[in-house]
Amino acid sequence: MSKTRSLIVAFTAPSLLASCMLLAQQNPAPQHPMTFFVTSSPIGDGGNLGGLAGADAYCQKLANAVGAGNHTWHAYLSTQARPGQPAVNARDRIGTGPWYNVKGEMIAPDLAHLHGDTLELARLGNNLNKLTGLTEKGETVPGLYDYADPRDNDWDYVKTTPYSNRHEMLTGSQPDGRAFTDNVDHTCNNWTSNKDPEPGTANGNLNAPDGRPNAQIGFPDRNGGGNGSWNSSHGTRGCSQESLPKTHGVGMFYCFAIN
Amino acid sequence: MPQKQSLLAALALVLLASYLALAQQEEQAGRQGRPQPQRHSMSFFVTSVGLGKGGDLGGLAGADAHCQALATAVGAGNQSWHAYLSTQARPGQPAINARDRIGSGPWYNTSRTQLGQPQNAIISQDLGELHGDTLVQAERGSNLFKQSARTEKGEVIHGVGDPPPIEHDILTGSQTDGRAFTDKADHTCNNWTSSGAGSAQVGHSDRIGNNNASWNSSHATTGCSQAALESTGGSGLFYCFAVN
Repeated sequence: MSKTRSLIVAFTAPSLLASCMLLAQQNPAPQHPMTFFVTSSPIGDGGNLGGLAGADAYCQKLANAVGAGNHTWHAYLSTQARPGQPAVNARDRIGTGPWYNVKGEMIAPDLAHLHGDTLELARLGNNLNKLTGLTEKGETVPGLYDYADPRDNDWDYVKTTPYSNRHEMLTGSQPDGRAFTDNVDHTCNNWTSNKDPEPGTANGNLNAPDGRPNAQIGFPDRNGGGNGSWNSSHGTRGCSQESLPKTHGVGMFYCFAIN
Repeated sequence: MPQKQSLLAALALVLLASYLALAQQEEQAGRQGRPQPQRHSMSFFVTSVGLGKGGDLGGLAGADAHCQALATAVGAGNQSWHAYLSTQARPGQPAINARDRIGSGPWYNTSRTQLGQPQNAIISQDLGELHGDTLVQAERGSNLFKQSARTEKGEVIHGVGDPPPIEHDILTGSQTDGRAFTDKADHTCNNWTSSGAGSAQVGHSDRIGNNNASWNSSHATTGCSQAALESTGGSGLFYCFAVN
């Protein structure tokens, strides 16, 4: 009995597989390898990503897990200037494009289209949107109106509710993809801080005018924050993991293949 | 006892509702970076239906009248409504820019929050933000997106990925800066009088399609008939703005 079964398996399985592959070959999808993704999960320590090195390593790890480790991956994050340490611009870290998502859909052909370097390009916008801003596993990022629940600002709820809104991507960048040049924090201390501001100092203002711990974020679905920016819509309430969901983020970020 | 219980339940509901309203208010205020009064009357909508004759809207006058009629039907007829449409120059007739027809803003839709409270969301503060007149404004974009581009009834327009019919091609006849085209080709279905030959420039209410995110100038239609509009994901809808 078990012999017959394994015989059947031995003969039918490979031939089925072969015909599937034949079919696939007959209809070759015009496929570009993935060179862009949204992290499917956060690192989990708020704005502390272990610096740029830690964030890059996380991109690489997630890419490796889905068989895309043959590329070199960088996180789309800026860091701000410090004494003896120049600023790093997110846009200077991600190669030259074009970048494609896991389904082979183009996000942008080059840096100028991605950021809107001219007025016309900026008005048109790139092709990053709710349907193309996919994780390395091909998941859509839950955004506004996907699942309405008053608890979606509470990390304890959000972390166990994968379909609740989490559409804020850490970037630490201005709309042109460059680091901020003012003296306030937009990068959770260059992605090393999981601290919150002193109680009473945030005042609901997300633009960190008072220098409290803060990270600039953008939306892959371009829905929210009073504008449609994918990379620089507003700041966060703080840098702890618990404070990120207060404005509908969990600490995910963009990863780009640089080669 | 049951009376007491229902009283308690009602009280709990009221408390919950006011908490939610407060939370939403606070969140919105926080995002805008400034305190915001709660309710604004509707001053922007996408037409819930077109005129049914493709690119023939009866000219700007016909389109404006359609905006006004739809607004009136939902009790917003006290404002003066204009269609966001450009017309191209003709001999003895200068071009008209859509952006010059819609007042100065700010403009609000009619909608509810994700949790169901009525709260008309902002579309844009002013003409500069709406069109991206500066590079930073253009890079960021306005707050016009799929979930905010509502009809006068508060409905979302079906866009890419939604069940058919997809109606996200919105007639504008405009360039990305909101101005009329200056070349010789037709971009306005002959200034909104043709339901046959010609073409109209459209934007996407969901800001998805044609490899860009433009709300007002994404691509041209393949013709001006109703069927031509429908073939690329439109039905002849357009944007209406209150000018006062």
